[in-house]
Amino acid sequence: MTPRVPLGAPDKLTFLLSLVPYLIDHDGISVTDVAAHFGVAPERVRDAVTLIAVSGVPGDTSQYLPGDLFDIEWGQFEADDTIVLTHLVAIEDSPRFSAREAAALIAGLQYLSSLPENADRDAIASLMAKLSRSATAAPSQLAVSARTSGDAISLIQSALRSGVQVRFDYLNARGGQEERYVDPLRVESVDRDWYLRGWCHLRGAVRTFRLDRMSALTVTDRPVTSRTEELVLPETLFQGSESDLDVVVELAAGALPLLGDYLSGRPVQHLAGDLVRATLRVSHYHALKRLVAGLSGVVTVVEPAAAREIVRAWADAGAARYSEPAAPSAPAGPGE
Amino acid sequence: MSTTPEPINRVTVEERLFSLVLALIATEIGLTKADILSTVQGYRQRYVHSGDNASLERQFERDKDDIRELGIPLETVEQPDDPGNNRYLRYRIPKGLYELPTDVSFSGDELMLLKLAATVWREGSLSAESRRALTKLNALGGADGDPVLGYAPTLRVRDASFEPLSKAMDRAHVVSFLYLKPGEAAPRRRQVAPRAVVQHESRWHLFGTDLDAGATRTFLLSRIVGPVVVVPDLVAPESGPDAGQTALAELDALSAANVAEIEVLPGSDAAVRLGKRAADASGGAQPIAALVLHYTDLNILADELSGFGPEVLVLSPPALRDAVLDRLLRVRDAHEPLEVRS
Repeated sequence: MTPRVPLGAPDKLTFLLSLVPYLIDHDGISVTDVAAHFGVAPERVRDAVTLIAVSGVPGDTSQYLPGDLFDIEWGQFEADDTIVLTHLVAIEDSPRFSAREAAALIAGLQYLSSLPENADRDAIASLMAKLSRSATAAPSQLAVSARTSGDAISLIQSALRSGVQVRFDYLNARGGQEERYVDPLRVESVDRDWYLRGWCHLRGAVRTFRLDRMSALTVTDRPVTSRTEELVLPETLFQGSESDLDVVVELAAGALPLLGDYLSGRPVQHLAGDLVRATLRVSHYHALKRLVAGLSGVVTVVEPAAAREIVRAWADAGAARYSEPAAPSAPAGPGE
Repeated sequence: MSTTPEPINRVTVEERLFSLVLALIATEIGLTKADILSTVQGYRQRYVHSGDNASLERQFERDKDDIRELGIPLETVEQPDDPGNNRYLRYRIPKGLYELPTDVSFSGDELMLLKLAATVWREGSLSAESRRALTKLNALGGADGDPVLGYAPTLRVRDASFEPLSKAMDRAHVVSFLYLKPGEAAPRRRQVAPRAVVQHESRWHLFGTDLDAGATRTFLLSRIVGPVVVVPDLVAPESGPDAGQTALAELDALSAANVAEIEVLPGSDAAVRLGKRAADASGGAQPIAALVLHYTDLNILADELSGFGPEVLVLSPPALRDAVLDRLLRVRDAHEPLEVRS
């Protein structure tokens, strides 16, 4: 995954310091292979190699004489686009991690330990200890609790490896239960929420499913039918569709991040004080009612009136359960 | 101006930094600031002999900070016969501390796992650190391309206080911030020596010593209102290496002690999703009407349960029951039909 952010000098310096030991270990490697390995454009590798080849130390004369500089086989570099270091200066080995870099990796590992294939806690612990010793300073105390995500991920992974579909019952936000056959493409997560992205045979399209909304998940013997290598997964988990509905809500500006995935790209309108009006995009109002009822006192739906009413009725039905007699009967859900 | 033949300012920032790192690794005894400014590529072009080099010196100070930020151990060495004299301070990067320890090596599988761990922070906080860690991991070899096929896990930090708190922790700073405890009408200022920042149940927490209470406290980042400021002249006491695990263990214990009983509508979204989390869920194949949930924070659970509307009825504890009902009534009342203006 190539980052799209512009790279600053710290990134470029890290690249230079990492490239030297890699080139030492891979004598005569081509520019394109290096680029593929580091996930960068070939041009960046050429620029870096060119800079390394003219860099070095001031030396005894403080004049950066040829013996004080790195050197490469220029002919091979220019004619064949391959890299051979012929003279080395000052560094040979990979740099250590900074305290924060090591901390980011350790926290990432703790998070990944909830994946079934990383269930070996001892292996993870020994890897974390190695990272701590590979950092210049004690890694920052960042920690992430790993929640075991159940069997779903193992089942999906085995289907992915065997090239077969998975089958499960899936509740949509309206409360309807549907049987789905899906070609699994990727398991994704955001914090503790895990998702399957795959080709849904019911909808004939790529869809995202919450793992915790699936029941009776099984690995089938039906081979996948989609050509997964031809399917391009969009970067974001959720994509808008033509039929999405716009909803205007009011909230404090500071609470906007809570709506992350639902916010439309449209600019927010600032009201008195800290209040803003923002536009959400939802697939239908039944997804909205769950979102808004979970953000009590934070978000209020302004329009359309139909959306306000569905939210009101949902909360009203919820509240009504507390005035029921001791043995409550199943209340009729609103809206269906 | 300059007597050197090279054109001024043609040296890029990365060339200057790279040259500085190489020069400081190559020296055993260290270089003085004057040595560096007059001889190292990127400085020497702008150095004025026996003149004013104040801006160049400031440049060097910034470069030093940037280099240390990357985990490169740039040391200062005082002259034994003239301690405290800045002019004779020497700078160097000990090679043994710069390089990965010789006895540390990572297997191909380990590298693959670490590369996946580095992609977890793909957005926002720690994404720059992860990107650089990934570059350093790539230097060690391992397989190319996407680390583990079929996975794209993400950790996300939405709290603005994460960055200042984690930096303060690294620098042993004491911080102060306004904290809004649920049930209290107004936020109160806290002075805290941060010891760990941890994610538990999807929420980020600060674990630290509350200097006013003189005891360890855990704070939810989402309840910190307003900016986190560093308290000058206070140094945080040394914290153990396991503060993060201690914090998580405490949160786990808290969660185990807090028990909520709820009833869910069979077949509903609440039954499926909460059923998977429930303490007594046995496989989850049969519809379960009554569930037991553990929680660390009553208000957070109340928010979540309110979202399920009529699919959930809280049986106990009474405080949770009241909190959910209160939230639902507030949502209902806030969404009464608006007056139609004519």
